[in-house]
Amino acid sequence: MPEIELLQIFQGIATMVASEPTIVAARIALIVLGITFVYLGVKGTLEPLIMIPMGFGMSSVNAGVLFLSANTMGTLFIDPTVSDPLKLMEVLQIDFLQPIYTFTFSNGLIACLIFMGIGVISDIGYMLISPFRCMTIAIMAELGTLLTFPIAVALGLPYNEAAAIAMVGSADAPMVLYTSLLLAKDLFVPITIVAYLYLSLAYAGYPYLVRVMVPKALRGIKMEQKTVPNISRAEKITFAVITSTLLCLLFPVAAPLFMSFFLGIIIRESGVKQFVEFIGGPVLYGATFFLGLLLGVLFEAATILNPKVILLLILGITALLLSGVGGIIGGYIVYWTSGRTFNPVIGIAGVSCLPTTAKVAQKEVHKANKFAIILPWAMGASISGVISSAIIAGIYVTLLR
Amino acid sequence: MESFGDSVKLMLFVYALAAVVSFTVAWVIKLIFAGIQRQKARAEAGANVPAEAADEPAKAASETAA
Repeated sequence: MPEIELLQIFQGIATMVASEPTIVAARIALIVLGITFVYLGVKGTLEPLIMIPMGFGMSSVNAGVLFLSANTMGTLFIDPTVSDPLKLMEVLQIDFLQPIYTFTFSNGLIACLIFMGIGVISDIGYMLISPFRCMTIAIMAELGTLLTFPIAVALGLPYNEAAAIAMVGSADAPMVLYTSLLLAKDLFVPITIVAYLYLSLAYAGYPYLVRVMVPKALRGIKMEQKTVPNISRAEKITFAVITSTLLCLLFPVAAPLFMSFFLGIIIRESGVKQFVEFIGGPVLYGATFFLGLLLGVLFEAATILNPKVILLLILGITALLLSGVGGIIGGYIVYWTSGRTFNPVIGIAGVSCLPTTAKVAQKEVHKANKFAIILPWAMGASISGVISSAIIAGIYVTLLR
Repeated sequence: MESFGDSVKLMLFVYALAAVVSFTVAWVIKLIFAGIQRQKARAEAGANVPAEAADEPAKAASETAA
């Protein structure tokens, strides 16, 4: 019988023994963090749709490191650094998640598929109720996306990386992924993870912001239901076609995002049930699942050891907080200009985490006044927020790429 | 290293441009609505004219009979 070394069999442990202590500590920390994400996802504290696959991917990839050759360590999950075509062909046949990364992730397809799904689940009629009010709120809710940019520059990030992390303020994770892929490819994994992590927490944190900024008497304002006009499918499709064409014309670099979102809306309004079910179900949830899984798998020890990660964590929460504050200020602007008939809580829905922030707004209003229904207006503000975020992403990418 | 002052100027430019484009989108919505409403009103008026025209001979006949 040949001589057997136990560590040769258990290579996950052998690679830890052979690594530097910082790498070992980071791997253990990420395994624990991954398991925590799965636990909090299952428990419902964090968004389960993203956190369960992300956390599981994170713990698995950091445990499953092996010796690829005598001197190199790696995994059989993915190699995001490969660019040479021949090497890529080889890796595509070895690493099991490489095909999904190469063909859907690095080109932004997965973000576009999620955007298409968001389009299918969005009733744009809500936005058409009162477009100028919705857009005022949406633009104010981009405060974090804008103010975080100079803050990040002041903290030492270059323009492209500063813009990529500032996009966390848009509260639209596929948009953050798309922008960071184009502007800061080296940082897209930590930036997108920061975005998803904080967006999961937004549902828990924004209600407190609403309670701090809006007194109970104003939170209970009832919106006039009679003013909701009947909007036909033809009107919605006309709006989607014209707006998408206009925005693609203005910002070709963000055209895939615009096209995907408005295509989703057109499919919804066209009433082709099979497409609606396909894109709103398997496509949306399949893309969300693989996005979470791949982000987790990409979160290796080297990523957490990047000193910029701490900075990204601080800037990410700053961006989301400022956007929430801006959204509520937008709600107040509409409240004053409408003769105090508009519920300012709707402002928080301008932070375009569709439909989470709209639900937060309705929940807070319901607590203050059981008979107040603001969801249609909140959904309108949220959908406007998606559009204004895509516009800002288009401007940033055009100027800074 | 990029300057903070320039980043503030860039931020203001991006904000202003985003606001202009966003409000243009809102204006496009209003324009589409106005166009569709006008078309609806015209179609309704067009539908009422033949109905009124059809009523006229009946009115005349009833007046003659009276």
